Amino acid sequence: MMDVKRIISKIEKDYIISNLRKEERIDNRGLWEYREFRIKSDIISSAEGSADVSLGDTRIITGLKYEVGEPFPDLPNEGVCTVMAELLPIASPLFERGPPDEQSIELARVVDRGIRHADCVQTKKLCIKENEAVYILFVDMYVINYDGNLIDAGGVSALTTLISAHIPEGIMGDNGLEWTGKYLTGEIIVNELPLVLTYGKIDDIIFLDPSLPEELVCDGKISISATEDKITSIQKSGAATFSIDEIKMLGNKTLEIGSKLRKKLNLLQYLSKIE
Amino acid sequence: MEDDEESVEDEFEDFEDEEVSREVVVPGEILTEDVKNFLPGRGTILNKEKTKIISLNIGLKQIKKNYINVIPLRGFYTPHPGDKVIALIVDKNPVKYKCDINAKDFGQLKPKNTVKRGKTRGFRGGSAVQDEISTEKFDIGDILVVKVLSADRLNKPELTTVGKYLGKKTGGIVISVDPPKIPRVIGRNGSMIKMLKNLTKCNIFVTQNGRIWLKGEDIAHERLLIESIYKIASEAHTVGLTDRMQEFIINEKKKRGIE
Amino acid sequence: MPLIIKDEYPETLFREDGKRLDGRDNNELRPIKMEVGIIKNADGSAYLEWGNNKIFAAVYGPREVHPHHLAKPDKGILRVFYRMATFSVFDRKRPAPGRREKEISMIVADCLEPVLFLELYPGTSFEVFIEVMDADGGTRCASITVAALALADAGIPMKSLVSAIAVGKIDGKKVIDLSGIEDKAGEADLPIAITWYNEEISLLQFDGDMDLNEMNEFLDLAKEFLKSIHNIQLDTLKSKYIKLQEKTSKNKKDEDKKGDK
Repeated sequence: MMDVKRIISKIEKDYIISNLRKEERIDNRGLWEYREFRIKSDIISSAEGSADVSLGDTRIITGLKYEVGEPFPDLPNEGVCTVMAELLPIASPLFERGPPDEQSIELARVVDRGIRHADCVQTKKLCIKENEAVYILFVDMYVINYDGNLIDAGGVSALTTLISAHIPEGIMGDNGLEWTGKYLTGEIIVNELPLVLTYGKIDDIIFLDPSLPEELVCDGKISISATEDKITSIQKSGAATFSIDEIKMLGNKTLEIGSKLRKKLNLLQYLSKIE
Repeated sequence: MEDDEESVEDEFEDFEDEEVSREVVVPGEILTEDVKNFLPGRGTILNKEKTKIISLNIGLKQIKKNYINVIPLRGFYTPHPGDKVIALIVDKNPVKYKCDINAKDFGQLKPKNTVKRGKTRGFRGGSAVQDEISTEKFDIGDILVVKVLSADRLNKPELTTVGKYLGKKTGGIVISVDPPKIPRVIGRNGSMIKMLKNLTKCNIFVTQNGRIWLKGEDIAHERLLIESIYKIASEAHTVGLTDRMQEFIINEKKKRGIE
Repeated sequence: MPLIIKDEYPETLFREDGKRLDGRDNNELRPIKMEVGIIKNADGSAYLEWGNNKIFAAVYGPREVHPHHLAKPDKGILRVFYRMATFSVFDRKRPAPGRREKEISMIVADCLEPVLFLELYPGTSFEVFIEVMDADGGTRCASITVAALALADAGIPMKSLVSAIAVGKIDGKKVIDLSGIEDKAGEADLPIAITWYNEEISLLQFDGDMDLNEMNEFLDLAKEFLKSIHNIQLDTLKSKYIKLQEKTSKNKKDEDKKGDK
């Protein structure tokens, strides 16, 4: 399409909308079809888990680091998992340098909530000693190329990173922390596999996985995270409004498409092979 | 519907010239040490000691008479007076439109350059006079085909919409390719573009800033055309491209079941 | 802080068989892989894997300068932003850019500027963004190497490429291309970059101690291996195009091939 600009031309907007009405998209997808996911895991040697995920031309690299710290007083036997996102200026002329803006905070928050409320990360397994020492996990996402729908790519990227985790296992000995020589892997840390699905809305047309031009012209979006049988978080963004019936329909779609996608991606294949 | 003609410019014929060697060179590469018989041409420079001609670009080496040129394979658009380009209006105020022309500077379109001269004569307070002093004619987000009136290193390019094939585009879609690949999309004497038009039945307008406007019968034809243009851009440095593209499009049409 | 596995320095940087800890000889480069044009949105881009270093570089420009007051009326400006990902190093790095990143950004810009014709683009900026995703010693040399490729990929006129490498001294022996641990535990580290159009040094930093003889030897050693880096750069830029040429001419043997010298 045309070189990426802050303002999308009127003819491009008309073109996208008139074709969506005919259920046609320029990249030849159906309204409920994803672009291709390409996934590589454990690519960063300095990280304790990582993933390189592409969704069409959108690409996100995510890495996992850990620290050992004190638990929150109200959750004395649970570790912490935080998600951060950065929209790198290499990824698009639309991204600027500087502290995280709204878009990157939304990306991190939506991905974080999708994971947090899904019984995904087993925070109790991240406790080294109650009240004293727990693991604090940092899942940091970096956007390498931006071609729309960062949230869904980010969700898969963060999840794959956690699955590929290999964190040195520690115990509290007499002289402080000791390494047991074993690793906490994704097999121990990760339980449910929540996926987040984002839909765009233009007028009364709703479609899955908006590409960049679609994202730039759409009135708004809705992101729904779900495990195999439960909705775990919802985020509506932009100026669009959705009817109750539409939300109900999207709830159904999310479970149905999410389930198929979960099988297709088979993310458990990225479990760390480390001993 | 308006009948658009491609804008073929002789200036860029070099790329299409089959005599251009297909030797790929990169910045700093020595093109010749025979400085007695050769002169540095486009995309080249003499070294400090004046003993070698070296390339400044990633491109194809070309020897024309006693000049050595490098035809770039990658690069950005630099406006020249007379260029026809596709512009996107990104801002406007009462005295001018600010246009994105895919160059380092935004182009300026003044209202007086959007109405034909002479029409205003003989009328008192005619609408054209109104047009001349306001920026009501176009809106932010409009796509215009404009001509570059003036452009130099220091001043912002001045644009006009008065002239043949110029003005606002309605319908269709605009895509972008690397500006140095545009001569290949046009082809020698417009051969590539004619082939594309005939086989995909789309209207195409190719401009020098790398932007291409197109409009066809349906999205299937347009999709095939867009894929073909991207393929031309990625294979711009190969020989026999027009024939291969023709074959590609005919095959794809059969595969996709479109006429 | 990761308290469990400590980032300890080994007692010796050589194995019993005389090779370095990663199995290399003293004059052996780590495996290097380069790619160009991998970030579609950028005007030019490149990716580099140099040992465990994984670095992306993207170029945007020439474009209008933001903020506007930085623009110079007589020439364009080159701005380099070197950043490291939080997970690229042993201890998680804080997300905000630190002093080291700012210094390297400046050094890389100074190193690349001589090969550009900034005076032809007054009032504009060329922005080079370097993102280190994984770091293992020598990222400033790797950054220069990959940034030069990204500039060439953007089609920005350049007098030549720029290549860089570090030479240094570990356990009293001269080696090339220091890894992260060698950089930290070794005695001397001398990153050098060269602009090929005049074959002069455009980056030189040094901390440690060496005598004059050693310095001369280091410079000669670096020159030899800078050539290898340069060859990989040239090959990377060309191979993308040449492969396609070969593929299409194979398909069309009857087409008379011209220009293949």
